[in-house]
Amino acid sequence: MRIVARRLGLYLLTAWVAVTANFILPRLMPGNPVQTLIGKITSQVTPAEIRAIRLSFGLGFKEGLVAQYFTYLGQLFHGNLGVSITLGAPVSSILRESVPWTIGLIGISTVVSFVVGTVAGAMLGWTRGSRFDSLIPTATFFQAVPYFFLGTVMLLVFGSNLHWFPVLGAYSQGATPGWNWSFVASVIRYGELPVISIILSSVAGWMLGMRNMMITMVGEDFVLMAVAKGLPRRKVIMHAARNAVLPSIANLSLAIGLVVSGALLVELVFNYPGVGDLLLQAVLNEDYPLIQGIFLVITLTVLAANLIADVVYLVLDPRTRSEAAV
Amino acid sequence: MSATIPREHEPTALDDGVTASTGAARGVARREPVLEIDHFSVDYGVGENMVRAVSDVTLRLERSRVLGIAGESGSGKSTLVYAMTRLLRSPGLISGGEVTLHVTDEAGTVTPVNLVSATESELRKVRWSHVSIVLQSALSALNPVLRIGREFDEVLKTHRRHLTKAQRRARAVELLRMVGLNEDRLDRYPHELSGGQRQRVMIAVALALDPELVIMDEPTTALDVVTQREIISELGALRAQFGFAMIFITHDLSLLVELADEIAVMYAGSIVERAGARELYEAPRHPYTLGLLHSFPPLHGERRELTGIPGTPPDLADPPTGCSFAPRCAFAMDRCANDKPSLVEVGDTGRSVACWLFDDASGSRVPVALSRVPSRAATTKGET
Repeated sequence: MRIVARRLGLYLLTAWVAVTANFILPRLMPGNPVQTLIGKITSQVTPAEIRAIRLSFGLGFKEGLVAQYFTYLGQLFHGNLGVSITLGAPVSSILRESVPWTIGLIGISTVVSFVVGTVAGAMLGWTRGSRFDSLIPTATFFQAVPYFFLGTVMLLVFGSNLHWFPVLGAYSQGATPGWNWSFVASVIRYGELPVISIILSSVAGWMLGMRNMMITMVGEDFVLMAVAKGLPRRKVIMHAARNAVLPSIANLSLAIGLVVSGALLVELVFNYPGVGDLLLQAVLNEDYPLIQGIFLVITLTVLAANLIADVVYLVLDPRTRSEAAV
Repeated sequence: MSATIPREHEPTALDDGVTASTGAARGVARREPVLEIDHFSVDYGVGENMVRAVSDVTLRLERSRVLGIAGESGSGKSTLVYAMTRLLRSPGLISGGEVTLHVTDEAGTVTPVNLVSATESELRKVRWSHVSIVLQSALSALNPVLRIGREFDEVLKTHRRHLTKAQRRARAVELLRMVGLNEDRLDRYPHELSGGQRQRVMIAVALALDPELVIMDEPTTALDVVTQREIISELGALRAQFGFAMIFITHDLSLLVELADEIAVMYAGSIVERAGARELYEAPRHPYTLGLLHSFPPLHGERRELTGIPGTPPDLADPPTGCSFAPRCAFAMDRCANDKPSLVEVGDTGRSVACWLFDDASGSRVPVALSRVPSRAATTKGET
């Protein structure tokens, strides 16, 4: 438990650094968002309006940088991330709408891809040299194809031409958002093609990683001992797989951390209303509060995912416990 | 763990087809065998690149006896035991011979099991219940992410299905006590134990199902000398208590003489000498055995000059035509380079040597170093 607490402390420190960087970086940039915004307004701008804009960005106050920083921390603590310039809504409520879509789509695909790839990799590693080895080049091919190409082709072939899957958006126009069956069914139906495309393009990594670790593990003495003990084949494989999966778990944490940000291409190809799509819009429109808010969410997800992975790793590999205690 | 070890006062426990008739003639009651290895050969690879790692080995181990197999690295001693228990990995391949394990079931009925032709499911029944193995490195033999208790639990759960969880735990505690470890070790992970403790755990796990045969593949090589001695004496006591037979592999002959009833010395995949432990130790007959004895300091007794053996073992991919030890042998004769000597009985104590020096027909004179007479203590196997 002490180790977990120490890790937690370390992550809090990292989070503080990230939050602070998020505060400082925009202030180091040349120009300021007010200028940008004024530039966007085509009609005449009165000094009063400029003052109002400055105030809304927290620039009108005659506070020093330190005081500004504490105001920023306080606002952040209350979930106030400012107001989006282009969308005119609070950044926090915009994020609340788009983050679940991304986590749902990319999160589920990542986990399914990890499970499928790891199980397949374990079997491939165990039966090395069998005819199933031909799965590897096939899977690697799909990972090697650029995702936007793979996604577009799938969308065209299975969506537009064959009409096996619905295209564009996250749910059908007829469904009313909420916890009702027709909406949930529609979300699942619309999610199928993007999920399949993500799994197809990412499963090879999990598979290869697990297979290679598995081959190493099969040569270990404790696997030989498991055979010598007369254990059923399934248990022998588990002995090897239990150890082989550790590096994959570490990679999974990184992958999950990138879920929120790594969705850009998927969301563009499938016109999915997630964070990636939002970030692109924000960058194109130079919507600083929104960019800042998204970055903050991404940073915190990466940190949270790493923390979870650390804890899981501590549970799975007892050796890390004593090393951490040294 | 200081129990006196009752030893059989027979000069030999190990016979094969060659010596069987003489054994009977001597009036020695032959005990029931637990393991019979018959003209057993093991290759690595096939075709052009084939390497014969074990060639034509015949051995017989009787119940509750200890057979030591000695030889330097690459002599085929580990390959022999892994192949005969069917644990040898690809590209290792059994190329000939039979291995018969005499399995005693709970009712006391003895059934011979042909290990070479046994199917996977037949092997699973025999494994650990009747043959268990202790490896050189306990650290790598124990799964690093599992608690020690799981090692016991898993074996008992697989082979003793009627035991409850509490009973399995109780058995594990009992086994740990047997090897002098506290039960709190059950909740530890392998990396939290010392080398000696880990090897004790392995020994306890090996004895969990009361097997007839325990194979020890250099179990003490990775340990310091003090721990080595402790474990050897514990093994002796455990064997006296439970009566399992043991095959003990090592390159340290002085260690073997403490524990083994019989020693087989392997060189380049073949057995070159086989004799009672003390006899072999005190009066080696094969030049290679002599060389091995001069490579290790004795644990006690007279000090010997350590000389080692010049040269290196032969390349098994291209073995010499004659005696494989001839290029390194101080006593090599002309015929050694051309004819391969076979293992034949020498003298009347059931020992066998594969060396032309002891071929009566050759008329060669046996060197002084190889004609020492074993002490009375050796022939009667007195305990020190």
